[in-house]
Amino acid sequence: MSEKSKETGVLGQLFKTFFAKHWPVLVGGIVLGTLNILLFAIKSPWGASGGINNFGENVYRLIGVFGLENSTHLSASFYGMLCLFLVIGSFIGALLSKEFAIRIPPKGELIKGFIGGGLMALGATFGIGCTIGAFFSGMPAMSGGAIIFTIGLFLGVIIALKYLMWEMEKFPGFSTGKSYIFLAGTGKSGNWQKWAGWAALIITFIIAYQYSGGNKIMTWFIIIGMLMGLISQRSRFCIVKAFRDPFMTGEADGSVGVMAGLFIGLFGFTIIKYFGIGMGDIALRTREMTWVFPHFFFRAAIGGLIFGLGMTIAGGCAVGTLWRVGEGQVKLWASALGFLIISPISKLFIVPPIVAAIPQSWDFKNYLPDYLGYAGAFALITLIILIWYVFVKWNEKTGKFSAY
Amino acid sequence: METKVDQTLDCKGLSCPMPMMKLAKAVKGLKSGEVLEMLGTDPGTKSDLPRWCNKTGNTLLDESELSGGVSRFLIQKK
Repeated sequence: MSEKSKETGVLGQLFKTFFAKHWPVLVGGIVLGTLNILLFAIKSPWGASGGINNFGENVYRLIGVFGLENSTHLSASFYGMLCLFLVIGSFIGALLSKEFAIRIPPKGELIKGFIGGGLMALGATFGIGCTIGAFFSGMPAMSGGAIIFTIGLFLGVIIALKYLMWEMEKFPGFSTGKSYIFLAGTGKSGNWQKWAGWAALIITFIIAYQYSGGNKIMTWFIIIGMLMGLISQRSRFCIVKAFRDPFMTGEADGSVGVMAGLFIGLFGFTIIKYFGIGMGDIALRTREMTWVFPHFFFRAAIGGLIFGLGMTIAGGCAVGTLWRVGEGQVKLWASALGFLIISPISKLFIVPPIVAAIPQSWDFKNYLPDYLGYAGAFALITLIILIWYVFVKWNEKTGKFSAY
Repeated sequence: METKVDQTLDCKGLSCPMPMMKLAKAVKGLKSGEVLEMLGTDPGTKSDLPRWCNKTGNTLLDESELSGGVSRFLIQKK
């Protein structure tokens, strides 16, 4: 740990503030919540599963299957580019802190990554959204469906955690075996990582700038995506952790970080919706209904449950997968691959027949302020966050629901 | 002075949550005062492990960086 440190200058100290140690996840949550508001102000809130679906559509278009000739090119897809630069931002964060390495886990873990990614794709396409779109953004958007999705997530996480613990007891060999690490940045010989990090940062800004002539929104989606990846990597911002750890080690820090981001988002989103900020040519009602999806209640419940199972087995939700891809965790490469391969297939062939079979009254857009008014909806979401907070803090102390 | 290691847990290549789950299980199997050496490559462990020790009352005796991106932790059971 203790490298001989020369006298560090002011800029060196500033650099260390960001890249010597991990940030408290609370800081990560607050900054990500703020960036989420900015995304909404520019266009629409943060989402991740749509971007990964776009990756998949681009792959299938290149191969020439499923008739996806008219799908949006990655370079023109806001959420595709947001996700791509989230990976790059995490890559930059990992390089600058010399934490990047290609980490290849035992085979069983790769299989779990792929299956987890596939399940997340099924959950996100059926549930219309992931832990970001239908939770981290959906709750602040005051969508009733988001609350249902979140309950589904919780159940999925608890079931999958039980499975992981069972697997570790009965089949410990599944997560043991030969592993390989490449390109690690330990010691002086790893200093190339810092230079590579700066280079990648500069390239990101050049690409963002190139869009600024014709597509200013994309410029900001690229920059914000990069920042989101970098911040997630530095603060280990992880929604799986937020849901899972109270039931595993009893840790509450991860959950509290996510709650902070949720609450900040709620504050900003409410203002944007209430005043119709950034409406452009669309009607106020359309702006209000942003990120309120037609999934209340059935699609949200089932989608959330399946997504919760998938993200826990994979060890990262859509965003948690993306930023871990950027720091070189190959299990999550398998998860991203499973996600992007299954997502378009599910969207085209699996979801439509099921949706056709369920009554419309099971799946509509539930906008909480329509029932409770803005004040009531704001208070309800705040109350939910508060109850969750009290639960994780109480559980942290008593360990009532923790496995270890 | 080199601490006597009673058991070694190899978590190289594993991603969250496997290292922490395996660690919790391994420490459960130790007797009080025994020392576990854990080797891991998930950057997350560097913040998760000290917090977990803090919470559970086990002692993190040492944390060091080996070559090849491997972190080594020595944990003494309460």
